[in-house]
Amino acid sequence: MSLTDLTSMAKPNLESRERILAKLHGRDLLNCFLCVKCTSGCTALKLLELKPHEIEKLVNLGFVDELASSDIIWTCATCLKCFQRCPQKASPYHVIIALRNLAVEREAKVPEAYMKAVSQILEGGLAEQVQKVTNMTMETCDRESLKLPKIKPPKESFQIVFLKALEEKWP
Amino acid sequence: MKVAVFWGCRILTSQYAYEMSVREVLPKFDVELVDLQEALCCGDPVKSVNDFAADYLASRILALASLTGARDLLVPCNRCHFVISEVKHLVENDEKTRSKIAALLSEEGMKYDSDVRIWHLIDFLHDHVGLGCIEKAIVKPLKDLRLASHVGCQILRYSDLGRVDDAENPRKLDELIDVLGAKNVDYAEKLDCCGAALVYSHVDSALSLAGSKLKALQGLGVDGLVVSCPDCGMMFDSRQKDAAATVGAKLGLPTLYYTQLLGLALNIKQDKLGLHLNQSPIDQLLAKIPS
Repeated sequence: MSLTDLTSMAKPNLESRERILAKLHGRDLLNCFLCVKCTSGCTALKLLELKPHEIEKLVNLGFVDELASSDIIWTCATCLKCFQRCPQKASPYHVIIALRNLAVEREAKVPEAYMKAVSQILEGGLAEQVQKVTNMTMETCDRESLKLPKIKPPKESFQIVFLKALEEKWP
Repeated sequence: MKVAVFWGCRILTSQYAYEMSVREVLPKFDVELVDLQEALCCGDPVKSVNDFAADYLASRILALASLTGARDLLVPCNRCHFVISEVKHLVENDEKTRSKIAALLSEEGMKYDSDVRIWHLIDFLHDHVGLGCIEKAIVKPLKDLRLASHVGCQILRYSDLGRVDDAENPRKLDELIDVLGAKNVDYAEKLDCCGAALVYSHVDSALSLAGSKLKALQGLGVDGLVVSCPDCGMMFDSRQKDAAATVGAKLGLPTLYYTQLLGLALNIKQDKLGLHLNQSPIDQLLAKIPS
């Protein structure tokens, strides 16, 4: 849905907007004056049509529920240029992360790879699985053949505490 | 000097050349690397799921680092460097987060340590070891090499956190290249992102970003691309073929980690630097180094 469609067809939800603001640790989203510096330098603009200034505006207007269930929040490349260049210190990057958290909480469409990473961390501490690599001369190498030290997984108590952190309530 | 090292996930699970070359090169400058007791994720992918859980993971790394007794923590991955630096900033400035994190860590008998200093490889070599010290150690100057640098995003931004180099005009990696006798080449696309973070949700777009940058670099006729982040290494080296297929270009740009390049100038054996693991045509670059 475009910005115009949203403002004429959807209803703003100020409660959801408050929840996003609470996640921003004081970064002032409301300061955004739509200079569009963020969007003009956005890594994901050309290929995926992410427009960070629109995200800022929509959250400001209270269209948070629509954003949380939209695919657009998952197109951010997290290059941090938007926040770096923002003259008002309203950080589209942090707004997008907060929206993603809300999407997960509401069990909206979340790219599977993120949830897989979390379950892998729970199992063994790392977000990736150890790979064997095949080099240009078709020789297969792993940590052992390369004489790299063994990976030491976290102690058992880690799993319990990490689960607790994952269940932490929204501020 | 004893320095704790946190590798993150990508280096330990696939970007072995980076790990090997860091382990080979730093001891030449009297640096003793101490691995953390446990291998753990920095929290980066968790940020998108539950940012508090990510904060907990990153704080746990600082707690693990302090257990080594070292006061300096080397984080060679850009993404991990950002996540850990941001949590340090948050915990030190936000009392609520600080007490919640402290409570969780104490359940495992661990303690948050704010005195641990966080380094990336670039500022560690440039500011801590020093260009002069590196210059003195060079055995084989890499004369005649024209190299482009890719610093990556997350060690440059955002400046409020205190980052490794200037956000819009990073020079440190270029100076580190020049000190080896090579010549850094400036280019318009220098700050363009490798796209690695999009691999999770939009693989084609990620590869397209990497491919476009490689294509532009190839047009400049440089001898190679120097990276210092495992995500960028994955995109520009390990997945160069996929990137070429995505942008429909013939790509063959030698891409290597800065520590591999430094190792060559220190005359360390190529196998020890993991140069046999690079997937880009690294032989083209090696052929230009006088033996």
